Amino acid sequence: MAEQKDSPAQGMTDAALGFMRDDNQKFSPLTIVTGIILLVGTILTILRFTQGLGAVTNLTDTHPWGMWIGFDLMCGVALAAGGYTTSAACYLFGMKKYHSAVRPAILTAFLGYAMVVVSLLYDVGRPDRLILAYPFVVQQGTTSLLFEVGLCVLLYLTVLFLEFTPIPLEWLGFRKARNIAVKLTLTLTILGVVLSTLHQSSLGALFLIAPSKLHPLWYSPYLAVFFFVSSIAAGLSMVIFEGALSHKALHHRMGKAYLQEHTPLIFGYAKAASLVLFGYFMVKVVGITAGDNWHLLPTPYGVWFLVELLGFVALPCFLFAMGSRNKDVGLIKFSAVLTVIGIILNRLNISMIAFNWHLPLDERYIPSWMEIALSVYMVTCLILVFRFIVTRMPVFDEHPDFKEHHE
Amino acid sequence: MKKPGYLLCRAGIIPLCMVVFYSTNIMAKAQDGTGTAPEARADLIIIDNMKSYRPLEKASVEFPHDAHTDALSKKNKSCETCHLTEKDQFYPAFKRLKNTGREEVMNIYHDGCIACHGEMRLKGEKTGPVECDNCHREQKKFTSSRLAMGFDKSLHARHVQVHEKKCETCHHEYDEKTKKLFYAKGKEGSCRYCHKEQTQENVKSMRVSSHIACINCHIKSQEKSKLNLPVKCSQCHDASYRETIKKLDPIPRLERNQPNRVMIKTGVMDLDSGEKTRMSIVPFNHEAHEGYNNSCRVCHHQEMKRCSECHTLGGSDEAKGVSLELAMHKKDTNHSCVGCHATQYKENRNCAGCHQSTPTTAKMSNRSCEVCHIPLPKGVELTDNTAQLLLESRPEKPATYTQEEIPEKIVIEKLSKKYESVEFPHRKIINKIIENMGASKLARYFHAEKGTTCSGCHHNAPLTKQPSGCNSCHTQAFNDKDMHKPGIVGAYHLLCMECHTTMKIDKVGCKDCHKEKSPQSSALQKRGEE
Amino acid sequence: MSISRRNFLGWMGAAGLAGSLGAEHAHGAPTREFTGHPDSYGVLHDITRCVGCRSCEEACNTVNELPKPATPYTDESVLNKKRKLTATEYTIVNKSVQKGSPIFLKTQCNHCLEPACASVCFVNAFQKLPNGAVVYDASVCVGCRYCMVACPFEVPTYEYEDPYTPEVVKCTLCAPRLEKGLLPGCVESCPTESLIFGKRDDLLKIARARIEKYPERYVDHIYGEHEMGGTSWLYLSGVPFKNIGMREDLGNKPAPALTSGALHVIPMVVALWPVFLAGMFGMAKRRDKIAAEEKTKAIAIAVERTENKAAETLARAMEKAKKEKENILKRVERAKEKAAKNKGDT
Repeated sequence: MAEQKDSPAQGMTDAALGFMRDDNQKFSPLTIVTGIILLVGTILTILRFTQGLGAVTNLTDTHPWGMWIGFDLMCGVALAAGGYTTSAACYLFGMKKYHSAVRPAILTAFLGYAMVVVSLLYDVGRPDRLILAYPFVVQQGTTSLLFEVGLCVLLYLTVLFLEFTPIPLEWLGFRKARNIAVKLTLTLTILGVVLSTLHQSSLGALFLIAPSKLHPLWYSPYLAVFFFVSSIAAGLSMVIFEGALSHKALHHRMGKAYLQEHTPLIFGYAKAASLVLFGYFMVKVVGITAGDNWHLLPTPYGVWFLVELLGFVALPCFLFAMGSRNKDVGLIKFSAVLTVIGIILNRLNISMIAFNWHLPLDERYIPSWMEIALSVYMVTCLILVFRFIVTRMPVFDEHPDFKEHHE
Repeated sequence: MKKPGYLLCRAGIIPLCMVVFYSTNIMAKAQDGTGTAPEARADLIIIDNMKSYRPLEKASVEFPHDAHTDALSKKNKSCETCHLTEKDQFYPAFKRLKNTGREEVMNIYHDGCIACHGEMRLKGEKTGPVECDNCHREQKKFTSSRLAMGFDKSLHARHVQVHEKKCETCHHEYDEKTKKLFYAKGKEGSCRYCHKEQTQENVKSMRVSSHIACINCHIKSQEKSKLNLPVKCSQCHDASYRETIKKLDPIPRLERNQPNRVMIKTGVMDLDSGEKTRMSIVPFNHEAHEGYNNSCRVCHHQEMKRCSECHTLGGSDEAKGVSLELAMHKKDTNHSCVGCHATQYKENRNCAGCHQSTPTTAKMSNRSCEVCHIPLPKGVELTDNTAQLLLESRPEKPATYTQEEIPEKIVIEKLSKKYESVEFPHRKIINKIIENMGASKLARYFHAEKGTTCSGCHHNAPLTKQPSGCNSCHTQAFNDKDMHKPGIVGAYHLLCMECHTTMKIDKVGCKDCHKEKSPQSSALQKRGEE
Repeated sequence: MSISRRNFLGWMGAAGLAGSLGAEHAHGAPTREFTGHPDSYGVLHDITRCVGCRSCEEACNTVNELPKPATPYTDESVLNKKRKLTATEYTIVNKSVQKGSPIFLKTQCNHCLEPACASVCFVNAFQKLPNGAVVYDASVCVGCRYCMVACPFEVPTYEYEDPYTPEVVKCTLCAPRLEKGLLPGCVESCPTESLIFGKRDDLLKIARARIEKYPERYVDHIYGEHEMGGTSWLYLSGVPFKNIGMREDLGNKPAPALTSGALHVIPMVVALWPVFLAGMFGMAKRRDKIAAEEKTKAIAIAVERTENKAAETLARAMEKAKKEKENILKRVERAKEKAAKNKGDT
C-alpha cells in the first residue's frame, strides 16, 4: 500500500503534466480530446474576459441568465449535494458504515462548488467585484435571495474546504494540523447541512420573483421545497453514480474498507433515494394541485412536464426501490443516472426551457456553442482536479499512518 | 425473488410508454395547425345542434349549403332530397321537422350524409367526406361571411308592387282564441315584433319562419313566373350578391296611415297620473325621419304605437320605468331623439371634428332645448297644421359672421425654435365647416346662433364676435394648480390633430403643419439669440 | 387623602399614554403596509393621445447623452417593426394597428412603487427615491443580472458588449433633472401631452376623471394603479392593454411579497436546524453508547461465567489432586509401616 503513495514533491511535478497522466498510456484518444477541450476552453476564457459577455454568449436582455447559470450553477450545486447528504448520514445520523464514502463525497462537493464559483466569475459582468466579496462588504442586499445564496455558497465552500483539509494534510504528513481539522468534523457537518438546506432551497426560491415568466407548471410557491428535496435525491444518486464511475477508472486506488463498504452503501443509498424521490414526486403533485394547473397537462409544455415528472422522478423512484429489494446493483446505477439526468432536466427547465415561455420562438434563448464549450471546459477541469487528488491523496483509501484515528 | 421484480419492472415502463404516446399524440395535433387560411363563405352552416343536449364529443361540422344545392340541381334533384315538408312547405332543418333527441338527430345526419356521399363515392363521383374526422374537423376550412338579410324599404316596396298591395301575403296576426293566424288590415308591423331570436312556444324563431316564408314562396312563384327569384343562401346573405339587388329610386313611403308631421304632446296631461309638464310641445317631422331610417323598429321598438302611450311622464310599467323624458333624451341609446342625434354627429365625419371630443356625459346647454321645444307664438292655436308651421319657422342656414369679421390667418409661433411658424388658415376652415353643415337640417337647426360654430374650437368661451383665444386659458404645461388643463402646446396638438383624425383629413404628420426650418432662418435666429 | 389631584392626573396620563402606545403596537404590526412614498411623482401616459412622433425618444437620447441611432428620429418606418428596449435606448415607441387605426405605446421603466429589481439586488444597487424614481448605482453592481430576470416588464438591459465595465441600463425618470426642478426629457418634449408629469395621486385623479368624462374612449382601467403593487408610470388606453402587448396577468402583488415567504423561513432554518441535527446526532450517539454498554456488559457476564467455571474446575482438580496426594501419602505410610513391619519381622 505504502509504495502507491507519491511524495508531495513528486505530486507537484506531476501536476505540470496533469491531464496526461492516465495510468500507463501517455496519449490515449481520451487524452487528446481532453487536450482539445482545455485548449479551446482557454482560448474562449481569454475571449470572454477581453471581448465581453456579448462576444461568447447568446444572452439577451430578456434572457439574462443562460447556460452558465442554468447548468453550471443550478446543476452544479444540486449535484454536489452528495457532500452534505453523505456526511450528515455518516456523522449525524450515525450510519457509520458509510464512513468510507464521506471523503469522495466531500471532495466532489468541494470541487463542484469551486467550479460553481469559477463559473460565476465567467457569468457576472464585474467578476472583479465578486472576487473582492464586494456585496458582503460594501452594501448588503438582504432582501435578495441571491444575497442569501451567495453568502451560503461562500460559507459552505469554506466549510467544505475545512472538511476537505484532512486529506491533503494527511498526504503532506502534517499530523497536528490534521488532528485539529478532524476534531471540527461534527461542527462542520452541522454547519454544512444548515448552509446546504438554505442555499439549495434558495436557488429555487430565486425564481419566485418571476411568476410572469416561468411556466405555471414549474412555478410554485413551493419552489424552494422542490429544490431542497430534489437536491437530496441528486446528492444520493450522484454518490452512487460517481462511485460507479470511479470504480471503473480508479479501482486500484481504492482501499479495502471502501471496497467492502461500497456495495452495502449502494443498497442503502438506493433505498434512501427511492424514498426521497417519492417524497419529491408527492410535493410536485401538491404543487400542481395548489396552483390548480391540471388543465395545463395536455399542452405541449404539460407533456414535457410529465416527461420530467414521470420519466425522471416516478420511474427512478420505482426502479431504485426495486433495485434495492432485488439487490440489483446494475438497476440501481441505471436509476441513479436517470435521477441525475432528471435533476439536470429540472434545473434546465426552470432556468431556460420553461422560462420566458410566453415569448415567441425567435426571441428565445439557445446557448451559443462557446457557452457550451466553456461549460464542458469547467466540467473537464473538475474531473482532472478530482483525478489529480484521488490518485495521490487518501480519498478512496485510508492513509496507513492515520488508520487508527478515525472514530 | 426475481420474478415479481421483472413484473414490477414492466409496470414501471407503463408510465414511460404513456408519456411517449401522449406526447406524440399532442405533437401531432400541434402540427395540424399549419393549414392554409380558411375560405370565407356566405352559405356556411355549422352543424352543432347536438350541443343543446350535452357538450359535443367531436368537433362541429361545417356544411357549405350552396355547394350541396348546386350539386343536387346538377343531378336534377330538388330540395326534397334533404328537406321534409310541413303543410306543403319545405322545413329548413335537415330531414326532420323537430329535434326529437340527441341520438335521433345524430343518426339523421350520419345516415343522411354518409349514405349520399358513400353512394356517390362508389360511383366514382366527386363528393364529400365519409370519414369521421373529415367532417368533424378541428381545423376549420371555412369562415362565415354571412350577412343578416337586410329586407330594406326598397325591397319591401318591390314586394308590395308585385303582390299588388296584398299585405296579407306576408303580414298576419295571431288569434289566441281560435289559435289561428289572421290578417288585420292597418295593423301590419315588423316580423320581429312576434318572431324573436329563439323559437318560443308556438312562435317560430325569425330565422326559421323567414326561411320557410321567403324560400317556399320564391320556389312556388319561380315555377309560375319563370323569374330568377333568390332561393340560395348567397342570394340573400352574400355581400357582393346583395349589391346587385335592384334599388328603387326614390323609395316609396310605407303606407300604414302614419302622420307626416306630429306634435309630441309633452304639454298634455298624463292620463294615468294626472301630471302635466310645462315643456313646450315638440313638432316632429315623421316623414323625414322615415327616410333617415331603414326600419320603423329603430324608433317603434316594441309595437307600432305612439311613444307616449307607454312612455308616460312617470314611466309606465309597460315602458319598464323609462319615462317620456328619458325616452326622448337618454344619451346612450339609439331609440331616443338625443341618443340617435348624438351618434349621428359623432359618426358623421363632417360633425365629428368638433363633436367627437364632446363628452357624452356633458350636460346639454339650456339654449339647445328650444331648438326642439319650440314655444307656440302668442295667439296661435294648436291645430293639425301647427307642427308644419313650427317646423317651417326653423332656420334655413347656419348663422355666421361676415367674411370680414372672421380673421383670415392665425400665425402660431409656439415651436418656432425648431420649426417655421405655422400659418393657420382660420377663415378657410370655418367656411368649409359651414359649407359642410349646409346639407344637414340637424346641423342647421343647432348652429342657428352666430358663434355656435366658433365654439367647436373656442370652447368654454362666450359666443361673441371675438371669443377668447387659446392662450387665454392654456399656458405652461403641468401647472400643478390645475393639472387637468393641457398646456398651450398640448392644447394645439390635441385639438388640431383630433379634428384632423376624426374628420379623416390625412394631414397628421409633423411636417404637414410644421415646415422644416430653412438654413437661413435658423442662422438668423441663432444670431438673434446671441 | 394622600393622593394629590396632580399625582392622580399624572398617573392617569401615564396610563393613557401606555394604553395608547400599546394600542398603536397592536394596530401597527399586522396592518403595516407600504403604499408608496407620499407625494412621489409619476407620469401618466395617455395612449389615446400618442401620435408616434418619437419626440420622447429623441429627447431621452439627448438628455441622457446616449449614442445617436443610425436612422433619424423623424424616420417613421422604424415604427413598422416591434422594438424592445436596448442598452442604448431608455425608451421606445411601438406601433400596433387595432381595428385599422394605429396605436402608439411608449415603453420605459415603469418605476414600480416596490420595485422587483430593487428587492432582488444583492448589493442594493437599485433604489426607489422618495420622488418616485427607481435609480441604479453602477458603482456597486456586480453584474449578476438578477434584476433583469425579476423585472416583470422586461425593462433593465445590459451592456453585454462591454468587456470590462458593463452596466445595467434603464430609464431613470430623469432623476438628475428632477432634482434641478426640470421635467423628464420625454415629458417635456411630448407635443400632445400624451405624457403628463405630476404627483402620482393627482395623476390618478386625472386619469379617473378622463375615464369618467369619455367612457367610450377609454378602457375602464388605469394600468399601473395596482399592477405589481402599483407603478409610478400610469397608462390610459382606448383598447384593452393586452392587445397592445401590455401584460394584464401580472397580478397586483408587489414583487417583494413574492419572495418574502421564502425569506422568512431562512432564520427559522438557521435557528432550528442545528437543534434538530444535534438532536439526531445525540440520538445516534446514545444509540451507539447503549449498544456499546450492552456489549461490554455481555462480555463481562460471559467472562465471569467462564472464569467461574474455570475456578470450579480448578478447585475440583485441586481437591482431586489433594486427595490423590493424601492417598499417595497414605499408601506411602502404609508401605513404610509394612516395610517397617517386614524389617521388624526380618
